[in-house]
Amino acid sequence: MAAMNGGYSDNTPAADPAGPPAKQNVAPAKTVDTQSVLKRLQSELMSLMMSGDPGISAFPEEDNIFNWKGTIHGSKETVFEGTEYKLSLSFPADYPFKPPKVKFETGCFHPNVDVFGNICLDILQDKWSSAYDVRTILLSIQSLLGEPNTSSPLNTQAAALWSNQEEYRKMVEKLYNKPAA
Amino acid sequence: MVSDSTINASIPNVSKDFGKKKRANRSAKLKQCKLDARREQWLSQVKNKNCKEEVNVPVVGGGKFNGPAIVTWKKAAQCCKVLEVDNPGVEEISHHFSDSESSPSNSPTNALVGASDANQGHNSNSNLSPGRETAEGLNFEGQLPICENVDAQLEKSKSVGVGILGRGSENCKAWRPDDAFRPQSLPNLAKQHSFPTGAERLQGFGNPWVRNNMTPRVPTSCPICCEDLDLTDSSFLPCPCGFHLCLFCHKRILEEDSRCPGCRKEYASEPVEKEASVSGGSLTIRLARSCSMSSSRV
Repeated sequence: MAAMNGGYSDNTPAADPAGPPAKQNVAPAKTVDTQSVLKRLQSELMSLMMSGDPGISAFPEEDNIFNWKGTIHGSKETVFEGTEYKLSLSFPADYPFKPPKVKFETGCFHPNVDVFGNICLDILQDKWSSAYDVRTILLSIQSLLGEPNTSSPLNTQAAALWSNQEEYRKMVEKLYNKPAA
Repeated sequence: MVSDSTINASIPNVSKDFGKKKRANRSAKLKQCKLDARREQWLSQVKNKNCKEEVNVPVVGGGKFNGPAIVTWKKAAQCCKVLEVDNPGVEEISHHFSDSESSPSNSPTNALVGASDANQGHNSNSNLSPGRETAEGLNFEGQLPICENVDAQLEKSKSVGVGILGRGSENCKAWRPDDAFRPQSLPNLAKQHSFPTGAERLQGFGNPWVRNNMTPRVPTSCPICCEDLDLTDSSFLPCPCGFHLCLFCHKRILEEDSRCPGCRKEYASEPVEKEASVSGGSLTIRLARSCSMSSSRV
């Protein structure tokens, strides 16, 4: 795959003098540049592990760095306090120019999460930016838990109940199944 | 003195007077050092040309004056180090001084006056040749005011809060990159870095450390693809929001949604030209190339 467009997909600084002119001749953006995606994902993993953010974590699956498993802890002083959710992140070949597919693996009673675990979050769709990474995604989802957008809910029952936080907390506890480690 | 007035303009009189009172003794020693340095320079010039006018011109004129003055400044800084450390007598200072003088690699003087000076400088250090005395006699009055200004600069830098000791090493740092291509471009460089620009400007201009502190931090790798940013990339600012990315990723984004990853605003068809960290002719040329490239694509 690297042979397809030579200097472009290499992305090595050494190839730079030839880089700019070659750029114009480069073929369509559809070209899959696995090498650079790998580098990006490895770099993300490194920074995620170094950052040590409390309440979020993620790690690639054993055999495929394009599939990650993440965990999010419900923030304190929200109805999700004390809960832990597993997520799956699936990175497309043109990541980070396209967002990863992120789903809850653990059932989550939340206005913006449907029964299949799909998440309605703008930054995972039209508001995606290639400057986002796994860490910012997980932090965004973590804050989404405590601050749902109830105006366009995937789970209307949860959206309706959100105004009553006490009842909501009870519902969360009732439906929560601690994910298997 | 023509050049004298320009120098004085950049120096507040207060600090000058204040410093002089405080360190009359020290500045006398400094003066001695600097006079020695200047004698060396003038000596070589006199030897080369053996002409009174040639000697006098540099003192008055702007362009030629700057070169020697810079050298003296550096020498002064070196001497100041000595003074700061152990406050020796004048003899010892001049001893230190001649040490640094005799090693061509350390001293900018040799590069300034030409290769032939290396040998001449050695000779004149040990015994006063007739040429040296001529230079001294001709230029002593001319040199003195300049040296006083050097003192004032030094004093000022102290009163501002920059230690002379640190100042000396700073100066070395600032000059080191220039040493590589000194022979051709010395006159211009000397003009840029000359005294009249003032202490603050000198610091900001020559010291990379200061420069780094003043400009916003440029990432070392592209935040999108995580490849290292080269000089072209790191000076490439396609969006006014200041989000840095490499040219490859920028091209890729232009082909898709054409929005800046940093602010989500659509990239302007003409990228913002801005020199990020390094200023210089070569960089501007590179920038122009990269910009024209991306704009032709749009």
